Amino acid sequence: MPLATTSTASLIPARAGIGLRFQHHQAVLDTNPDVAWMEVHTENYMGGGSPLRYLDAIRRDLPVSLHGVALSLGSAEGLDAAHLERIKKVAERIEPGLMSEHIAWSVVDGSYLADLLPLPMTEEALDTVCRHVDQVQSYLKRSILVENPSTYVTFRHSTIPEWEFMAAVARRTGCGILCDANNIYVSCQNHGWDASAYLAGLPPSTIGEVHLAGHAVRQLADGKTLRIDDHGSQVIAEVWTLYQQALTLFGPVPTLIEWDNNIPPLETLVAEARRADHLIALTAKEAAHAKAA
Amino acid sequence: MQKLREWQHAMRASLIARDPAVNESLAAGIAPDRLDVYRNTILSGLTRALRLAYPAVERLVGAEFFDGAADIFIRTHLPRTAYLDQYGDAFPEFLQGFAPAAALPYLADVARLEWAVNGALHAADETPLELAQLAAVGVEDQARISFQARASLQLLRTHYPADAIWHAVLNRDDETLAALDLGTGPVFLLIERGADGITVNRSSEPEWLFLSALCAGELLESALEAAPDIDAPAALAAHLAAGRFVAFTVSAPATEQTREIAA
Repeated sequence: MPLATTSTASLIPARAGIGLRFQHHQAVLDTNPDVAWMEVHTENYMGGGSPLRYLDAIRRDLPVSLHGVALSLGSAEGLDAAHLERIKKVAERIEPGLMSEHIAWSVVDGSYLADLLPLPMTEEALDTVCRHVDQVQSYLKRSILVENPSTYVTFRHSTIPEWEFMAAVARRTGCGILCDANNIYVSCQNHGWDASAYLAGLPPSTIGEVHLAGHAVRQLADGKTLRIDDHGSQVIAEVWTLYQQALTLFGPVPTLIEWDNNIPPLETLVAEARRADHLIALTAKEAAHAKAA
Repeated sequence: MQKLREWQHAMRASLIARDPAVNESLAAGIAPDRLDVYRNTILSGLTRALRLAYPAVERLVGAEFFDGAADIFIRTHLPRTAYLDQYGDAFPEFLQGFAPAAALPYLADVARLEWAVNGALHAADETPLELAQLAAVGVEDQARISFQARASLQLLRTHYPADAIWHAVLNRDDETLAALDLGTGPVFLLIERGADGITVNRSSEPEWLFLSALCAGELLESALEAAPDIDAPAALAAHLAAGRFVAFTVSAPATEQTREIAA
């Protein structure tokens, strides 16, 4: 397994961080909010100019995680070498504590379909993803995390439960898992899976980070309800509960508050991060207590 | 079992053109309209990318018209890269031939300007060429210098006064916009990124042609020869002082090469 080549100062602590978006660049510099780390979408910093200057300035004070949203690990036609190179350039500049990508696909026939599209859970898809994770890790000379998806459809030809697919990618490539608790909740509600069983199916030692976000609820024409992962509202109570279960299983892990739509003032994100920090601290205390007893 | 590659092609046909073939692969009880979630995300994400690059075009045509044009454009021009700051280069040409926009003949020119602004905005950071590096070139070699312009410098010639329209539209200055004379002939523009953001400045045609020749990598000698009506050395000095070039090369003298071959 490739080793991370990050300095101690860049390591992401087992505390809460926030997803940094352009709207908050100036506010973060002005107010120096009390969060332990920040995560950005790698694709937003591939050009020059002011976004990179802001990120450089923020990176001087805080560890940063790079979260890619478009590498398309699940594309049958292979990875876009130019995109991988762009990711590497950003990583060389920012020296991130963590780097992550998604179990999804977006590119077919050279066209980028701008979404995290669902993969059929097949042996062929698993082989494809593992091959690409290997390629990314050897190119970047570090291990990455892969995030479980939120999905709205499932496929006839899927043969592997999603949590087993995640565990298999980690086992075969040495990568870690970015456990998105909201995605687990959304997919389990959409497909009638058991969220607790999903969590229990992920090997605790592979969990490098947890994501928390809000989602939307939509009624379909057939009367069913669909939950949609839009990162446009606060984390709901059920996802906080699932997060507590995750902490019990995994121990204290870096946890991210993510908003991408209806982005609220910075304070709202910081308040959600504080709540996550509180739960992480409780978990750490319980673990210490259990050890002492 | 369906091969992943063929299945992904079928998904694309479903998401972009509503081809129903992929529906057969959905699990029992999964209504095909669930795929609309993905269709909406793709369309809204790419429309947002176009809206960010073309704000003046959107104001000129209105949000609803823009969304409609973007929908048609996106289905026929999917991004060829996942780096969306580079998406939309073909939009000006698309608008040029887009019949519903024919009443705004200058729309494509404004779009061309916005694409140049977008390019200047997102170009990689580069270190400008230092004059000291250039000073090391001997007098006898100076004619054979060619320059590499910084990526954040864009040159544009438009038939309509796109810069004036663009300024007025983004400043919501309807009075200036209404008073604009569209028939003043072509404008020659320099679009560049400075410390304080993007600037768009007009240049004279000969000055613009001289800089265009330099940016295209022509030898200094031929660029100078093609610009007899301007103080080209002064113009060159100004471009260098403004940091518009990032590198240069000195080509081997063609005549000496010929002589060597002859010998």
